[in-house]
Amino acid sequence: MTRRYETVYIFDSALEEPAITEKLQRFHGLLVTEGAAAAPTFNHWGKRTLAYPVKKKETGYYVVAQFETAPDRLPEFERAVKLDESVLRFLVIAAEGEQPQPPRVSTPAPDDEPIAMIEEDA
Amino acid sequence: MRRPSKTCQVCESGVRVLDYKDERTLGRFLTERGKILPSRLSGMCARHQRQLSTAIKRARQLALLPYIKGYTG
Repeated sequence: MTRRYETVYIFDSALEEPAITEKLQRFHGLLVTEGAAAAPTFNHWGKRTLAYPVKKKETGYYVVAQFETAPDRLPEFERAVKLDESVLRFLVIAAEGEQPQPPRVSTPAPDDEPIAMIEEDA
Repeated sequence: MRRPSKTCQVCESGVRVLDYKDERTLGRFLTERGKILPSRLSGMCARHQRQLSTAIKRARQLALLPYIKGYTG
């Protein structure tokens, strides 16, 4: 039985793209299972500024991966990713049920009625 | 006096599922300090408000959205 997952990686932005591709290959090599319908797809967002510093870094290289694997492969995979120092952070989620579509397209531009903002104490 | 009921902006825009990777949209549902806007103010339907809170929390973990806006040291 395989399930669909989605992982977002934040790599150290000092890393070159070939090195990142190589690491992704290695991580996803751990997830190869029989019966997986599709090969993993990678979406490189590239270098972005982080909303807050992570491991003292201000920028990170984002990659979104979608893949199918057997759930019992995940612990080993997560361990490997955690041990890699160049991965600042990562998140694995089960991507099942209804998926947001089309990705990276936001809702129609700023609406006519801006959302009320509440005043807050700093 | 009841205020006129607001309609859910997300439903109106035709989006069924909110994406945690879309920080531009999620950012519209934050207060100045980066808290999640309550449905009382955002006018979201319960279903989308639940999705929103999960999506914002995921986006925060991925440093797409800040936990606290405008906080320095």
